[in-house]
Amino acid sequence: MSLKDLISPFYVWQRAFEKPYTQKRPIEDRPGAPRYRGFHMNSEECIGCGTCESICQNHAIDMVPVEGLEQRAGDSGLRPRFDYGRCCWCALCVDICTTRSLHLSNHYAWVTEDPDAFHFTAGTDAMPWNQNSLGYRRDDDYHLLVHDRVEMQALSAEESVAGFDEVMRGYTEEEAVLEADRCVECGICVATCPAHMAIPDYIRTVRKGDYEAGLRLLYETNPFSSTCGRICTHRCETVCVMGYQGDPIAIRWLKRAIVDRVPQEKYREILGDEVEENGKTVGVIGAGPGGMSAAYYLRRQGYAVTVYEAQARAGGMLRYGVPSYRLPDNQLDKDLEYIRSLGVEMRFNTQVGRDIPFTQLLDEHDALFLAVGLNQPSALRIAGEEHPRVLSGLRVLDDVASGKDPGVGKRVAVIGGGNVAMDAARVSRRLGAEVDVLYRRRIEDMPADPEEIRESQAEGCTLVPQAIPVEIRNASDSNQVTIVWGEAEMVADDKGGRPRPVLQEDRMHEETYDCIIAAIGQGGQIDFIPAEFRDRIEFKWNKFVPGDYQQTGLEKLFVGGDIANSRADAISAIEDGHHAARGIHRFLSGALDG
Amino acid sequence: MNTVEEILDFAIDREQQAADFYSNLAERVSSAWMKDMLLGFSKEEMRHKGKLKSVKLGDKLLNADQHVQDLKIADYTVDVEPAEDISLQDALIVAMKREKAAYRLYSDMAANIDDPELKSLFLGLAQEEAKHKLYFEVQYDEQIMRDN
Ligand SMILES: Cc1cc2nc3c(=O)[nH]c(=O)nc-3n(C[C@H](O)[C@H](O)[C@H](O)COP(=O)(O)OP(=O)(O)OC[C@H]3O[C@@H](n4cnc5c(N)ncnc54)[C@H](O)[C@@H]3O)c2cc1C
Ligand code: SF4
Ligand code: SF4
Repeated sequence: MSLKDLISPFYVWQRAFEKPYTQKRPIEDRPGAPRYRGFHMNSEECIGCGTCESICQNHAIDMVPVEGLEQRAGDSGLRPRFDYGRCCWCALCVDICTTRSLHLSNHYAWVTEDPDAFHFTAGTDAMPWNQNSLGYRRDDDYHLLVHDRVEMQALSAEESVAGFDEVMRGYTEEEAVLEADRCVECGICVATCPAHMAIPDYIRTVRKGDYEAGLRLLYETNPFSSTCGRICTHRCETVCVMGYQGDPIAIRWLKRAIVDRVPQEKYREILGDEVEENGKTVGVIGAGPGGMSAAYYLRRQGYAVTVYEAQARAGGMLRYGVPSYRLPDNQLDKDLEYIRSLGVEMRFNTQVGRDIPFTQLLDEHDALFLAVGLNQPSALRIAGEEHPRVLSGLRVLDDVASGKDPGVGKRVAVIGGGNVAMDAARVSRRLGAEVDVLYRRRIEDMPADPEEIRESQAEGCTLVPQAIPVEIRNASDSNQVTIVWGEAEMVADDKGGRPRPVLQEDRMHEETYDCIIAAIGQGGQIDFIPAEFRDRIEFKWNKFVPGDYQQTGLEKLFVGGDIANSRADAISAIEDGHHAARGIHRFLSGALDG
Repeated sequence: MNTVEEILDFAIDREQQAADFYSNLAERVSSAWMKDMLLGFSKEEMRHKGKLKSVKLGDKLLNADQHVQDLKIADYTVDVEPAEDISLQDALIVAMKREKAAYRLYSDMAANIDDPELKSLFLGLAQEEAKHKLYFEVQYDEQIMRDN
């Protein structure tokens, strides 16, 4: 070996003291392009729907709980956690994100010695790029999701007011599949449905055309699916993630799409309901949706169920209140007849308290479920209300449901802004009247379903908001009646309640009508519960306050529906009935769950 | 009634009478929930009484010029009888009208007296009654006119 060879390695040392040719940390000086797909960012609009997790082809996303973030209506409380060992920065998660909260920063360098650091929860973990305003966002005109709802065929307003035919005509099979296809199956809606129905699962059955499986899913939580597929208050849709950028999924209509395709004669075979008698008896007071839902689930558990109902037919307010253009009788009957077919004994025309004492039922049955609803209309209690042309909204609807003419005349004033008022107004239109709806608050405060408000306007009802009735007077024609009303100013409620209308006594009006229909609210009639039980049952105003599983302090008594909840809609009554049935089963059998 | 002490005793006595009125009615009704509710009203009056007693010991009444919202519901509802089968609606009407009458009473007394200390005491009592009336009017708005 030559000397040169021997010392040549040491030559490189002279390079050690020269300026380096490479850049030490080149990335710091070279920011990503403005739309570079760098690291994930998530804003507070995220509601944890998990659609990003579903679409990621690399399984790079897990939805995880985050400290300090609670699950609440419309928010799963979970947030996407990214695994950068798996991510390929395809940005599908960004493109699909239902709230557009997820995007990519243009930050692309992340140096750390901790291998676990490459798992992080975007938006909640503090990352250096969290304030980055560049990077990749979905373009406005590029959509992976279908934002527009498939509209359902409906009668025109003119056709609607011409009679009592059902206004909404139902989806065709093809329409139902298209609408079902829009659902991203996130399940966010389930917690908001009072009955926690398996919404994404039954929507999937519509997509597959497997209506029998759909029916089985519906009946797990709701034996009034034909009814609810039509008139449910669809609270679930208010939180549907598809509503963030477009229309929420028509969850209610898809429920209807299932039931409309299964004839009732096939229910028993499909649902496989078999009743094995267990020798115990339960009395149900009230055959509305609350009572009949309890009857169904109790019967499935083998209880002998007797329903005591004051009226001649079952259905409660769904029959005597909700008019047939929204819920045809045969659809309500479809639900009710199936429940009755399991062997529920019905005692019609039996008003507890009048025809049979409450204490007798308490003695005769192992447990009672009470769901008597709210059927006492509040009176106007203003001067002159005893005028014969002042009618009650519930009575008008009851007459129409029973095939009688309530005689509303040609010009009608409806007082109120709830369901009863809207239906009384729309029924009056169908009977040929011009209708004014006087309401004390603003239109946006009306408790009626916004759809009903819109439809009533489309059908020609005139809404007169901020109008406070103060007196009823005789009109010059004895078949007419005059109302005096004053304008209202809204004042904020100090305690955070809804704004309160205050009469402006210098702005009064007078108007004459053929009749005035009062629909300002209704209460329950529970006077039949004797005073001796006061210490064992909790009340708030004229409603029950039930404990766990709808049970009262009078152990045998379970309560639910409108008389015991604040939501006062069919689905809540149905859920109360189901819940109480489970409670009664626990109570009577000692089983942990029914 | 010439002293602060006497006036407060009068007002305290009125609250006791109101509490007795509701508890007597509660004894006469036959249903569990109505009894419960009337006893609740009676308790509310006893709370008012407690408040006035503490005023006697030095606590402050509502300031006479503090604004208490008047929803004017009591003004336009008809008079009703406190019968044994009284409904929730009518019980609330009775209650708000009683509070309104008390408000009027103290306001009138305030208008007819010159002594500034006693005048402001009457006005303070009137404000208290206005607040009680507002409570029942709000309940009427919530419980009875839920759809209006
Ligand atoms: C006009 C109108 C429109 C409505 N629209 C909708 C809607 O679109 N969507 C929706 O979800 N909800 C709607 N609702 C509300 C819905 O009807 C009720 O929330 C639901 O019916 C409550 O069910 P429930 O079982 O608690 O009581 P109810 O349906 O009122 O049934 C109670 C039953 O108990 C019976 N009963 C009462 N007292 C006694 C007694 N002492 N002895 C024996 N039987 C007794 C009654 O006759 C009745 O049949 C509407 C209500 C009305 C009035
Ligand atoms: S960018 Fe693509 S690979 Fe990465 S998490 Fe999102 S969907 Fe998955
Ligand atoms: S209906 Fe809406 S919220 Fe419910 S699972 Fe489908 S997309 Fe999600």
